[in-house]
Amino acid sequence: MDTLRVRDAKDVEEVVRAAIANEQPLEIIGHGSKRSIGHAMATNAVLDVSALNAVTSYEPNELIVTLQAGAPLGDVQSLIDAKNQQFAFEPMNTAPLLGTPMSGTIGGMIAAGLAGPRRIRAGGARDHLLGAHAVSGFGDSFKTGGKVVKNVTGYDLCKLLAGSWGTLSVMTEVTLKVMPKPEAERTLLLRGLDDAAANKAMTAALGSPFDVSGAAHLPKSELRAKVEGLGDVAGEGEPLTVLRLEGITASVAHRAGSLRELLASFGTATLVEDGASEALWTTIRDVLPFAATGALGAWPVWRIVCPPASGAALGTQLARETGGDLIYDWGGGLIWAALPPKSDAHAPVVRARVSAAGGHATLIRAEEEVRRDVDVFHPQEPGIAALSERVRASFDPKAILNRGRLSRGATA
Amino acid sequence: MAIMMPASDQAVLARRAEIIAALRAIVPGEGVIDSAAEMRAYESDGLTAYRQPPMVVVLPDTTEQVSLVLKYCAEQSIKVVPRGSGTSLSGGALPLEDGVLLGLGKFKRIREIDFDNRVVVTEPGVTNLAISQAVAHAGFYYAPDPSSQIACSIGGNVAENSGGVHCLKYGMTTNNVLGCEIVLMSGEILRIGGKSAENPGYDLMGVITGSEGLLGVITEITVRILQKPETARALMVGFAEVEAAGECVARIIGAGIIPGGMEMMDKPAIHAAEAFVHAGYPLDVEALLIIELDGPKIEVDELIARVEAIANACGSTTCQISTSEAERNLFWAGRKAAFPAVGRISPDYLCMDGTIPRGALPKALARIRELSEKYQLGCANVFHAGDGNLHPLILYDANKPGEIERAEAFGADILRACVEFGGVLTGEHGVGIEKRDLMPDMFSEIDLNQQQRLKCAFDSQGLLNPGKVFPTLHRCAELGRMHVHAGKLAFPDIPRF
Repeated sequence: MDTLRVRDAKDVEEVVRAAIANEQPLEIIGHGSKRSIGHAMATNAVLDVSALNAVTSYEPNELIVTLQAGAPLGDVQSLIDAKNQQFAFEPMNTAPLLGTPMSGTIGGMIAAGLAGPRRIRAGGARDHLLGAHAVSGFGDSFKTGGKVVKNVTGYDLCKLLAGSWGTLSVMTEVTLKVMPKPEAERTLLLRGLDDAAANKAMTAALGSPFDVSGAAHLPKSELRAKVEGLGDVAGEGEPLTVLRLEGITASVAHRAGSLRELLASFGTATLVEDGASEALWTTIRDVLPFAATGALGAWPVWRIVCPPASGAALGTQLARETGGDLIYDWGGGLIWAALPPKSDAHAPVVRARVSAAGGHATLIRAEEEVRRDVDVFHPQEPGIAALSERVRASFDPKAILNRGRLSRGATA
Repeated sequence: MAIMMPASDQAVLARRAEIIAALRAIVPGEGVIDSAAEMRAYESDGLTAYRQPPMVVVLPDTTEQVSLVLKYCAEQSIKVVPRGSGTSLSGGALPLEDGVLLGLGKFKRIREIDFDNRVVVTEPGVTNLAISQAVAHAGFYYAPDPSSQIACSIGGNVAENSGGVHCLKYGMTTNNVLGCEIVLMSGEILRIGGKSAENPGYDLMGVITGSEGLLGVITEITVRILQKPETARALMVGFAEVEAAGECVARIIGAGIIPGGMEMMDKPAIHAAEAFVHAGYPLDVEALLIIELDGPKIEVDELIARVEAIANACGSTTCQISTSEAERNLFWAGRKAAFPAVGRISPDYLCMDGTIPRGALPKALARIRELSEKYQLGCANVFHAGDGNLHPLILYDANKPGEIERAEAFGADILRACVEFGGVLTGEHGVGIEKRDLMPDMFSEIDLNQQQRLKCAFDSQGLLNPGKVFPTLHRCAELGRMHVHAGKLAFPDIPRF
């Protein structure tokens, strides 16, 4: 299979136009770190954007950075970190979970749209993508959005590009919002809560005025080995509920005290600060307990998004029915479920329970044979599915880009 | 009217009586308005320079009625213009002579308040402020706060992706809505998202938000609500130079502080506002910043001190800090009344809405002064300084021949300058008809064609709110045609591996 390593947007146009003329679908990759998410594609050439890796401009005072889509996520994070800034949506590094050597590019980060714990407060990748240049499946470069935070000029196509898994356009350059890093962070730890109580504690915390920026729960687990990043805080698989506060030092201390009082009925919270707190949230963001090299590395992993207050009821039921292991984030609104290996990855039960709870589930990690027989992305209502297909075709009528990634057995 | 609207369909107008009868069969009683006198209330929105009575006004009160009206109109090739409270400043709800004006004002009910999931499910005709009021007893509020929040509907907010003073810290409408029920032009009813943080598949909610009523008619919305910050305090800082005020804004952001709101007014705006509300604004300064910090008291107190130090370092000439809610509200009173205040000093004004990179502020103000000279029209400036969103208010007198044309040309030049300085045509008011013909200054034909193709995915006949946003309308078949470039998968120059 040909891999075409494009050097600029003109190259991308040329490759896509030839692919259209020859009806040869293309797989779009950066570092290929998330290639195993989705269905096997009906493509026979690879368009590699990793050489489009320049930082076009970075203006810390404007809180924006403009990057070529192939810029490595890690490098960009170091760049903005040096100015004490960050992507507030805490993009997930999928490398440990998927067992890939590289942690991916900016383009992949947006196309996958996998936000971390701070999503509950700061939004997702879609909320931080301000503008983009991209090549559509018509083979034409277009732009959408701009380089300013406040903009309602024309349709917000950025929202569609974020989370589109490369099926609408090949992004070549993007402008993202960056935010100041908090001066301090503290995490409150509550031990020994069952899922239902933990869900209640997280709901109380998120419904408080204390500006909680992370709310996660690690249930009791005999399966999970001691996980890197949890250090001494996790104990030996005992339940742990964690709530993060960030901001200026005095405020964080004040809010930690108030939140502890508010949650007194759930137990006495202990505290971890700065470095230990950061490591803890990296563990949750990257789902390290289910890392590819860990004890559950061979288990399929589902990413379930649901109304946050229903998280525990849904998760408890799934764990009971499948014998799986869970991590709750977003105050219960995100459940990572590692389920015992099975040819269908427990898809019927997962989909039925998740749909009933008003949520949706993505099979984020599974063997290729499993993904051949199971829908990776949550099936949609027929009307929404038809509209989504029309939207896709409005960008890429011949399905040249990442054909077949989103739906099983799709030929167009 | 300087803006050309799509040509009226004479065949539709000839069948007006029959169409009204068919609509009455769907929406009984007072829900169909066809008398010229009663329709006058709908002939314009907040962009009052443009007026056009619709063919007929329909005010449904159920989703099913909306669906049947749209289905009928689609089958009969009748244009439809949706309308919320009619506060659009860009003409988004301007009726068409041969179109149905579909008002959502009867959708006034909040359907569900769910504190555990921190959402409100509401009908689109509920006002922005009413949502905050409905949850205030539990300490919650809905964050986006356009200045028309007493009157503007949440459905209109979604259509326009409305902002407000506090969106610097809390985001615009798009960052605060989770789901909706939407009726497509075909009459099809779809539910998108709900109480979850993210929706599966393409982010349809994201692209519907800010689509200016061109993609569908929203009949229900799920919004996020937040806990009210413990306290808020404001600083009112005066500067002898606009540049110093701009520098102060940049340094506050550079110091990692994101205020709840950060507003700037120039001298003409300060004087107009002070004469109107007597807020105690300093009259001898060139620029005034109102900076609000919100959060826990201990945090607000510390940030106030930090911001005060930055302001001093930037050479502020006056600095007042609110010590009570009454005083904070007084600081805001002048800013919030800036538009009517300007209305008192000038018979008419045009409110512009461009966004520029914050750093380009002094350059943009200098350009506005030059243009003010050139067009011989006054201009008062208020800005959401924190996010670079400018609201120049161009002063004119509609009764003087040629002034409105000059004012519009002045406004267009300001918006072109915004694009030239790296910004955009509209930050929060929408394109509508007002900035429609400037779209090619920001977007290429390819860019605009891609946007119109998306429109085709929702409304293949182009019947929903035509004449807004896009200067040139193309048929969907024409947009979808693919020019296949002759070529082989050869690429002699591109590295292969």
